[in-house]
Amino acid sequence: MEQFEQLLTCAICLDRYRNPKLLPCQHSFCMEPCMDGLVDYVRRQVKCPECRAEHRIPYQGVQGYPTNVTLQRFLELHIEITGEMPDPTSGQIMKRCAVCTEKSYCVHCSHCSKDVCPMCKAAHMDILRREIARINNQVRRALHRLEDMFALVEKNMAALQHNCNSVTEEVDEIYRRLIKAAKDRTDFLKTEIDRYLGVEIKNLTTLKDNLQQEISNIQSNCDLADRHMGTEDVEWEDVELLDTKDIFLKTVDFIRNFEAEMGDYTRRVRFTMATDPNQLVLHVSTYGDLNIAMPHQLTGQQQLAPGPGLMRSKSDHRLAAQYRQPDERYGEDSGRVSPLAGRKFGQRYQRRDRDYDYEDEPRPQRSRTRSRFLHGGENTDSDNDTSGPRVRFGADQPKDQRPTALDTEALSKGPLSGISRLYDCPQVIARITEVKKPKPVEEPQPQVQQPKPQPKRTPSLAQRQVSEEDEITKIKRQMKNAPGERGTPDRPGQERVSALRREEVHSPPSSAPESPPPQSPSAQGGSSSESSDESSQQQSPAAGSRKTSVTRQPQQLSRRSSTASDTPSTGGESARKVSTTGAAFTTEQLKQKFQNKIEPKIEVPAPKPFVSRFLRGGVGRPLTTTTTPAPVSATKEEEEEESSSSEETDSSEESSEEQAVATGDKSDIGPLLARSAQARKSSRDETYSPTRSPTTRTPTSYQQDTPTAAAPWRTRTAANNTSTEDEAPASTRYGSTSSGFTSRFLNKSKSAAAVSPDEEDPGTTRRFGSSASSTSNTASQPAGSKSRYAALKDRKARLARSKSSHSLADDDDDEEPMTPSAYLASRYGPGTSLAKSRSSHAIKSRETSPEPSAASSSSGLASSSSTAPGEKDGAALSSWARYLKNKYGSRNKDTMSSNSRRLSLGLPLRSDPEEETKNTQGSPTSPTQHPPFHQGFGVDTSTRSKYLNKRRQVFSLGSRGSETGCFTWPRGVATGPGDIIAVADSSNHRVQVFDSNGIFQKEFGGYGNGEGEFDCLAGVAVNRIGQFIIADRYNHRIQVMDPSGRFLRAFGSQGTADGKFNYPWGVTTDALGFIYVCDKENHRVQVFQSDGTFVGKFGSHGRGVGQLDHPHYIAVSNTNRVLVSDSNNHRVQVFDVNGRHISTIGSEGCEDGQFKFPRFRRSFSLPAGDVASSSNVPLIPPTLESGSGSGRPGVYSGRGQREQSVTDLQPRRSISEGVRLMGLRRGRVQGPRRSSSYLDQLYPRVRPREPPCSSILRDAQSKLDRVTARKSEMEATIPLYRRQFSGPLFLPY
Amino acid sequence: MVSLPRRIIKETQRLLQEPVPGISAVPDDSNARYFHVIVTGPDDSPFEGGLFKLELFLPEDYPMSAPKVRFVTKIYHPNIDRLGRICLDILKDKWSPALQIRTVLLSIQALLSAPNPDDPLANDVAELWKVDEAEAIRNAKEWTRRYAMDN
Repeated sequence: MEQFEQLLTCAICLDRYRNPKLLPCQHSFCMEPCMDGLVDYVRRQVKCPECRAEHRIPYQGVQGYPTNVTLQRFLELHIEITGEMPDPTSGQIMKRCAVCTEKSYCVHCSHCSKDVCPMCKAAHMDILRREIARINNQVRRALHRLEDMFALVEKNMAALQHNCNSVTEEVDEIYRRLIKAAKDRTDFLKTEIDRYLGVEIKNLTTLKDNLQQEISNIQSNCDLADRHMGTEDVEWEDVELLDTKDIFLKTVDFIRNFEAEMGDYTRRVRFTMATDPNQLVLHVSTYGDLNIAMPHQLTGQQQLAPGPGLMRSKSDHRLAAQYRQPDERYGEDSGRVSPLAGRKFGQRYQRRDRDYDYEDEPRPQRSRTRSRFLHGGENTDSDNDTSGPRVRFGADQPKDQRPTALDTEALSKGPLSGISRLYDCPQVIARITEVKKPKPVEEPQPQVQQPKPQPKRTPSLAQRQVSEEDEITKIKRQMKNAPGERGTPDRPGQERVSALRREEVHSPPSSAPESPPPQSPSAQGGSSSESSDESSQQQSPAAGSRKTSVTRQPQQLSRRSSTASDTPSTGGESARKVSTTGAAFTTEQLKQKFQNKIEPKIEVPAPKPFVSRFLRGGVGRPLTTTTTPAPVSATKEEEEEESSSSEETDSSEESSEEQAVATGDKSDIGPLLARSAQARKSSRDETYSPTRSPTTRTPTSYQQDTPTAAAPWRTRTAANNTSTEDEAPASTRYGSTSSGFTSRFLNKSKSAAAVSPDEEDPGTTRRFGSSASSTSNTASQPAGSKSRYAALKDRKARLARSKSSHSLADDDDDEEPMTPSAYLASRYGPGTSLAKSRSSHAIKSRETSPEPSAASSSSGLASSSSTAPGEKDGAALSSWARYLKNKYGSRNKDTMSSNSRRLSLGLPLRSDPEEETKNTQGSPTSPTQHPPFHQGFGVDTSTRSKYLNKRRQVFSLGSRGSETGCFTWPRGVATGPGDIIAVADSSNHRVQVFDSNGIFQKEFGGYGNGEGEFDCLAGVAVNRIGQFIIADRYNHRIQVMDPSGRFLRAFGSQGTADGKFNYPWGVTTDALGFIYVCDKENHRVQVFQSDGTFVGKFGSHGRGVGQLDHPHYIAVSNTNRVLVSDSNNHRVQVFDVNGRHISTIGSEGCEDGQFKFPRFRRSFSLPAGDVASSSNVPLIPPTLESGSGSGRPGVYSGRGQREQSVTDLQPRRSISEGVRLMGLRRGRVQGPRRSSSYLDQLYPRVRPREPPCSSILRDAQSKLDRVTARKSEMEATIPLYRRQFSGPLFLPY
Repeated sequence: MVSLPRRIIKETQRLLQEPVPGISAVPDDSNARYFHVIVTGPDDSPFEGGLFKLELFLPEDYPMSAPKVRFVTKIYHPNIDRLGRICLDILKDKWSPALQIRTVLLSIQALLSAPNPDDPLANDVAELWKVDEAEAIRNAKEWTRRYAMDN
């Protein structure tokens, strides 16, 4: 070997030959630089270093010598044998470095946009680093200006507040004074009046008294005179008479004269005002004005301060140049937007001008500053010229726009500057994490980062230069390769800014909310945005050709699973409005919007029933969502609805929905799978609306209509009605059902009902109502049921309910729809529920039977009772029961044997009506009857039901991050003894271990290539004794750790030989402890003993049978079938343990049974072998025999059974592989039995016999997928359906 | 700073890892192109038992041009002059890039065992060598003992 090596070594460079050239003397040397160095240019000959023979150089130079092909073959052979990587420079050709003119392997340098040698590049990078450092310094130094400004603003704020307070006080004071004056005066007047009144009254009283007395006196006198004077009764003295006469005369006189004085007593008080009261009021009402000291000098200066300050500071380092232009522009008020001027600084001023009608004062000021800048700018110019590369900015930035590495749309940018936060940039994060060392952000990515600091100055510079400099200089610059990167980076920024600006201009008030907070938004927002970013980047490409149906569910899943973060974002536009989180405007939202727009289009084309259903589901969502408060917004977008629905479900009805779904899943078998799946979905989401039903085929119009209809606060019922109406043609009753709805459950049930019509024949549809009613009843009657469940939790109760409804439906089916018998329901209910929940394992079911049975029975009763009225109404209710009924009822009609149906349902086989009758007769609550049933059907039904079972999300783990419990690109998942869940946290270079409840247990590993260290590990497996087997991807080896995570051994290295790897990816073990490794880049599977001894390999690169192309994941079923996700061949291949090809599943495509870049979801490597194509409908390949298995991860682990699921990942690579299941994007792993949210997704729609979707649909789909990529990531794995079910099932609970 | 060509690095590594018997070449700490070399006098030659120090410098365009080698230890040899300069064709016009440090040093070692007075550099020595070889060998041994064996 040594000699072999030597033969392959060039005698001159002592390296492996590179493009060996054969001299006539039969000696070979590398063409460059070796042969080049030998050339005697004077004599035009080459002297062989080995034999000193001299040869004429061919006309074309040394290149003209023949290449030593043999040697090259040997080289290749050698590479193949030893597996050593070819020299990285082997394929390259030496070029002259554009900088130092030395010949070498040149690389493109972003700094000068030339091809330069590594050394020059390093130097350039160094320059960049230093520049960054310098600019950073400057920024730091100048940062205080911002800080000052910040302080100033704060101060101003305080001052303003103070000012306002004082003014307020003043106003108050005035008010008080006015009030006081008025009051005083009023009081005074009042008292005066009172006094006057009193006096007058007194006078008058006395007068009155006097008068009275006079009157009485006179009266008496008169009387006396009448009585005695006139007659002669009494002897009067003449004197007396005379006196009397006098008196009377006096009296007469008095009376006559009295009048004159009366005027005195008629005096009135009159209130008069000095001024017209109206005027006075006017005065008072406008008694003061607020004079707001506008912009003029004082305030103006303050406000202007920030801008100039910054500018000035920037002028130091040429940033000023930029600003100068903006300023000028403002002056001109031209439409253009300068790159950074777009910042709101400028904008603010501008707006001010407009809004407040500032005088020109500010402008002069500005101009002043501007001039200053100009000055500075010029200085900087000269600087630039001397400093070299910088100068070049100007030349032609518009032309070449360098893709800026760090410029992601999704990044939250500073609201003013548009500067994004580097830490938010996934790349930066990745870099930093890669390095592991806490370096300054800038260090790791000198090149990339450069755009950041520089953009500020670059644009202005460039423009200025362009404008100022004449053509010649321009040309010169160009010659110098001026266009360089410098110019480019600002471009995006510019656009960004301009966009921002535009937005602002359009909607100044709303700009604030839209622009993300300058720095990390709230934790939620941040996370969501990040995730969204990632997703957007990675998923959008990946989404490719997925079907809508698939994608949607994932979306839902994702939403559900990620409750908090998702909800705001999901809402789309409306959500944004509603959302209080204030998170940045995430790409997701955008996407969603986009999606919304797109969806209708997509759905229209869907010609095939499958698609239509799913689509329908999508369409249906809007309807349901209308009920939710959040979506209030006029335009009900599906997204919103989804979110709302998910919220609803999450909050209140998670369990029930899950259950329902589960039940549906479980109950179904074979043909029913699809239906059940749909049912599940529908039940869960409520979202599935009937509109898309294949029968009705009203898809597009309906969908489009629905949003509008729903928009104006429609009630659920209305929405439902609409949906039902649409379906009406297909199912007569359907419409009626919708009206009755009152409860949420109903709503859901309706959706379910809606789904059902598509599933089956129109005839069945009429039963919907009943099912709906049952669900409603269940909802309404929880109390009653609860009493029975007492032991059970609500959740279980719900489960039971849902199940019961299922059972009911079954019953109904069996018997007449008209008479839903509670008994039957109760009877079968338990069985079904058991079967479903328990994955229909007989034993387990028995154990658990009492509870569920009771529950089910009770629920069954409830449902049945409820159903009766519902059916009577006919119009009334749609719910699970009905839905189920419809489903199954239709089946009954079908000639198909009811048995099979029952099997599918998870019900015991009862072929004869008698049994049913019996059941009906039996007591509703009798649990005793159930167990036998379970046993009976357990075997057959279990597989499917189990399978269906799988789709529920049990729980989810983690989020993005590097802390414990968080993931960054989790790639592999495995379960092991003790129900642990091991997650290969790829980009965190560690394995995290959780218990079956998702509680973090431990982690191990770190970045590196030492023992126990990983470099982007991909696969993880846990063998029977709990050892972790890890595919250490970039280290090209497999590591084995003991159960505690300690390093045991490693084997393999990079290469192509046996036992060597080239990016090992998936790894798994079988019952015997053999380790299977997907040797991805070698396109093969290698098998090792548990100690690392090479045992065998199979597969080679190719497309043929048994050949592999980038196999990713691998799984071994407990029937010793080896499933390999033959990713680039879009299929799953099945081998036996000896590597013999057994079968192939799938082909490329997005239709049922087809794959796009399938990868195993090793994540849930659990007992049962499940293969799923995530985007597509799972296959039920005849050849696959499943071991016993059921879908719950963690539960089964350690029993030596394993389940694998295959996922068909997104077509685009960026999507995380492997763990999709777990919603990789978000960095979370979903684990066993946690919450409902995940359910559906897991679940694929299995629609076995339906026609594949059309290509049109596919296209639409792919579009949609792109849009919804992010959701799709969350997609659940689809378990492979096992046809035979050999092993015992374990109950999930 | 100019990085060291790969070839030099490789050669150096190899020299250190698989030293040629009787020859040691260690790069200088401060200059990787400068080697401190010690060559043992070949057996059956007048230089037997001696340890001869040499200095070897790899020029900028090595391996396209020959390394510069010089004896530091005084040696009585017709092809090596008083200053330690060596008259060896491969160090001059017969240099070939296919040659390496080790081959050069081996050649020098061989030169010690096979002096070539016909192509002299030290004329007096060569003269004596031609005229009275025994005397010359004795001188050589004497010099070796005196200069090359005292550590």
